[in-house]
Amino acid sequence: MRQNRRPALWAALALLFLCGCGTDAVPEARRSVALVAKSTETEFWLSAFAGAQAAAAEYNLELTISGPGTEEDYETQNKMIAQAVENGAEVIVFSAIDYERNAEAVDAAAQAGVGIVSIDSGVGSDQVSTYIGTDNYAAGQMAARAALEGVEGPLYVGMVNYGESSASGQERERGALDGLAESGRARIAAVVNTLTDTPRAQTDVVALLLAHPEINVLIAFNEPISVGASKAVRTLDRAEDIFLVGFDSNVVTIDGLQDGYVDALIVQNPYAMGYLGVESAYKLLTGQGGSLKPVVDTSTQIVDRENLFTMDGQKALFAFDPSQKRAK
Amino acid sequence: MRTGASRGGPRTATILVFMVVGVVFVILGCCVGLFLGRYRDAMIQSARTSTAQAVAQVSNTVSNYLRDMEQAMGLVEQSMLERPEGRDEQLSAFLKFRPDVVAVTSYSAAGELLDCWSPDREPKENIFQNLSFDLERARAAPSPYMTAPHVVTIFQSWYPWVVTMTAPLDPMPGGENTAAWVSLDLSFSNISSYINNVSIGQRGYCFLMDRVGNIVYHPQQQLLYSGLKSEDTEALAALEDGAYADNTVIHCLTSVGDSGWRVVGVSYVDELVNRNVREMIWLSAWLAGLILATALLASWILSRQLSRPLRELASAMGRFETDADHFTYRPMGGTREVRELSGSFGHMVVRIQQLMSTVRQEEINLRKTELKALQAQINPHFLYNTLDSIAWMCEQGRGGDAVKMIHALARLFRISISKGHELIPIAKEIEHAENYLEIQKYRYKNQFTYTFDVDPGCLNYYCNKITLQPIIENAIMHGLDLLVDEGHITVRVRQDGEDVVFTVQDNGVGMSAEQAAAILREDAQDRTGIGIKNVNDRLRIYFGRQYGLRITSELDAGTSVELRMPKVKEARDYETK
Repeated sequence: MRQNRRPALWAALALLFLCGCGTDAVPEARRSVALVAKSTETEFWLSAFAGAQAAAAEYNLELTISGPGTEEDYETQNKMIAQAVENGAEVIVFSAIDYERNAEAVDAAAQAGVGIVSIDSGVGSDQVSTYIGTDNYAAGQMAARAALEGVEGPLYVGMVNYGESSASGQERERGALDGLAESGRARIAAVVNTLTDTPRAQTDVVALLLAHPEINVLIAFNEPISVGASKAVRTLDRAEDIFLVGFDSNVVTIDGLQDGYVDALIVQNPYAMGYLGVESAYKLLTGQGGSLKPVVDTSTQIVDRENLFTMDGQKALFAFDPSQKRAK
Repeated sequence: MRTGASRGGPRTATILVFMVVGVVFVILGCCVGLFLGRYRDAMIQSARTSTAQAVAQVSNTVSNYLRDMEQAMGLVEQSMLERPEGRDEQLSAFLKFRPDVVAVTSYSAAGELLDCWSPDREPKENIFQNLSFDLERARAAPSPYMTAPHVVTIFQSWYPWVVTMTAPLDPMPGGENTAAWVSLDLSFSNISSYINNVSIGQRGYCFLMDRVGNIVYHPQQQLLYSGLKSEDTEALAALEDGAYADNTVIHCLTSVGDSGWRVVGVSYVDELVNRNVREMIWLSAWLAGLILATALLASWILSRQLSRPLRELASAMGRFETDADHFTYRPMGGTREVRELSGSFGHMVVRIQQLMSTVRQEEINLRKTELKALQAQINPHFLYNTLDSIAWMCEQGRGGDAVKMIHALARLFRISISKGHELIPIAKEIEHAENYLEIQKYRYKNQFTYTFDVDPGCLNYYCNKITLQPIIENAIMHGLDLLVDEGHITVRVRQDGEDVVFTVQDNGVGMSAEQAAAILREDAQDRTGIGIKNVNDRLRIYFGRQYGLRITSELDAGTSVELRMPKVKEARDYETK
């Protein structure tokens, strides 16, 4: 009996051996990631999209990008999140317009098994795997520091912010207020909230400056408002006596910086946010979610007339796009 | 049964298989290790070569591009000599023809921007800072030179990234306001198309840097600018042209002509080398496994050919040991050695069996001879005493008694002879015993009496002849002869299951247990002792060890001899043995 069992045993072993050799990796289908932004038009977001696309290409992901028409439309964002889940996105990279009112949609998406990566502006959900963006409080303090360094004597500060419910804007405002309060020579003349829309911001800033002629420092907390504010300063021809601190890089504010309408820009790193957001999504998809840090601070720097055209200034302000066309 | 010692210790087959597989394993391991080492070296060399080739190609292309740009610069320089109208026309045609030129600018000897040609654009009135032209550098450079990447800063709301090529113009008559330098701002669209498409392996790439390590163009320039990626260009700038491999990355540097630009190829050892090596390791492991399996199979078959017959032989020997008589040997196949061994064993078995049967036959013959000698040698005392008694009876005129005696004697002898048969019916044996007792009774003048108690069912079975007589003789001579009272002998025959049991009981002087045991031993001295032992031996030879005599005796009480044999229905069954 024993004699007959052994050949069978060997045959089984040989078979196992052959089977072990025959397994080859099956190419995976591209996995889907959705980026829901606050806007699809500002230079800030275009740069973030470029970063996201670079990462998607590098990690072979299917990336869909969407964002509402205005940076106040959290309802459309909620719909976009639901739509992304419906379209089979496995991770949503999300920048919340409203810290509170986007939370429910994010929770629902997470409930459906979708991973959540938060960039630029946080959301009040504990389902977020990682937040990648500017340390907004520190960015606000930087704005305050730029103003304090640029203006001697007492500061009469006007602040122009966007939605009261946006986490990023409120953090920046708090940072700026704290930074200014520390100095002891700044007085807050007014804080106004406007819409993230250049013409509307320009109108509101003009009104603010007319209502508070004592203002000599203006802080605008995002790109469209900064553009609006620089136009307002230009309209009122007050480049000389108003120190305007803006946020982010836009050709209008960069022109303004050279022409004197803008005095300092707090430049975030949207490309890195987009890139790292999608990279984190990839890590979530490939089971490396454990290695993600809860908060990733992307670099922020102050650009003023001094360092505008240094290499670092150029790198921070101007997107490098070799396919850029010469035509207007 | 095999003993414990033969069960312990490894089998030949196991040893053989382990040895062969072990040797093959070691040899394979050495070969595969050596091969893989060589293979990896070769792969690294080939990866370096392929990286170098890719880099050389990019270098050629970039070099061509630069030559092209120098020619373009020549064209621009020429057009600068033209009158303003012709110059504008030529340059706008040039710009249309060269979409990668963002702007052409000319500068005075003092470094002021004199003119700018760019399709559909005019420079700003107040230029904050012009990154395209650096007077100090222009003055220091004797020939056309290229800048590091920068943005164009002379336009309103438009800041494309460019590199600038600046060339001095031949001094022209016209004083202050004539152009001393001309610059071309070159976008990266052409360079990017040369460099982006280069792939070395799956992840490898090329980038362009200048002599001091400023990156001119990198396929992932924005990643570098955003601080998400970095290249150690400082260390690379210190290296000569050539290929440098470390454990993870191969860097390959080539200068682009004498432009000061260098192409750096970056490829990954992991994907170019390790992947192939891993594949080769798999293949080798597969092959090695196959070879090992083959070796295993081969050695197993071999050992089976050798060890199985050996084991069979061993078990055959075991069986032979247990029961040599009924063992029949079938020669087994296998290798020649095994067949020879098996043949020898077969011969030995036959020889031993022959010897055994010879020995047994001789033993039987010896017994028969002894028996015959014994029978032939009927106690002469008994014969002449009997004849004396008969003569004495005749003298006394007891003719009737004398006749009886003579008849008894005659029957005694007839049965003793029994035509030479060993087995006779029990009835005959009883008759023989009766005749003997009758004669002895005359001779001993009625000193004893005797009775027979015979189960008639036994009478037709056979028994060895002259079995009772020696026992009775013993009973008379050693039991009754010395007795003062009248003795008595009882002969019983009864059935006991499959056996027939004879009992000869006397009430004589008896004997001790030692004496009783001594009778059946070899060293019996007197004739009757020999006779009893002879009976016992015969029964045992004929019927086996469980049959024979059993003597129970008690001093002063008597002796009982029990004689047991199987029921034999046919004398033939045993006679022939």
